[in-house]
Amino acid sequence: MSSFENVKEGDGQEFTTPEFTRTHFVRYAGAGGDYNPIHHDQTFAESAGLPTVFGMGLFTAGVLSRIPAEWFGPENVRRYAVKFSSRAWPGDVVTCKGVVSKVYEQDGRKHVDLDLAATNQKGEVLISAEATCRPWK
Amino acid sequence: MAKINPPGFIVERGKIHEFANAILDDNPHYHDLEAAMSDGLLSVVAPLTYSSVASYFGERAGPGGAMSGLDMRYVLHGGQEWIFERPIFAGDILTAEPGASSFYEKEGRRGGTMKFIESEMLYRDQKGEIVLRGKSTLIQTGGVVTS
Repeated sequence: MSSFENVKEGDGQEFTTPEFTRTHFVRYAGAGGDYNPIHHDQTFAESAGLPTVFGMGLFTAGVLSRIPAEWFGPENVRRYAVKFSSRAWPGDVVTCKGVVSKVYEQDGRKHVDLDLAATNQKGEVLISAEATCRPWK
Repeated sequence: MAKINPPGFIVERGKIHEFANAILDDNPHYHDLEAAMSDGLLSVVAPLTYSSVASYFGERAGPGGAMSGLDMRYVLHGGQEWIFERPIFAGDILTAEPGASSFYEKEGRRGGTMKFIESEMLYRDQKGEIVLRGKSTLIQTGGVVTS
């Protein structure tokens, strides 16, 4: 709860992922259920004109969700919304950042809005996102 | 997000642990029942994006599946939104029903005509109460988008 007490606009959190591998994508396929071959099958990816497989948007969205989940507790996230901009490729190293855009009271509880982004090593935004956190009870 | 079929998706502790590992998150509220309960939670919590597991629950081995009818070489996931009425815990039994959906086309800059499919899914718990509203946007491009 201390995260809610002390938070103010402009506060930020970030972390950088290990280098993404095909194994990360395959493990997410198994855990999440997305067996679209474009995320694990090199032959299929080449038939679609791609150099190789790329990561599921929801894989990177899940990785980025660590920011609000770790900061305020996953149980306290009211809303999480993501927009996919660029693909994550094997070899990418992704920096996930969140910044507090607004702190306010609503329904007697403190609410915190966050602007979030997952950016690759070239500075390309893979995902931009927003989250709203508040104590769930 | 596809409809859960058959209804009754049980949120399982082991699956939460597996999913949290797959998104590279070691949060004790996902992995450690004792830590979660000592923090006042009913059980371990499902990660924010965990409902994607439910959307594949109805798939069966064999031809077809939830994505049949779209050419998966050319389908992009545009965005996704989750709005929680409460956290989802291990032990919850979810059912899902489609909410509003819409379909529209736009001329893309690189890939010809793009078809947008926006759909909502309402997830209810074992008491019939809405716990999560999901919205997703799928985009089918007119051709290969290579970057």
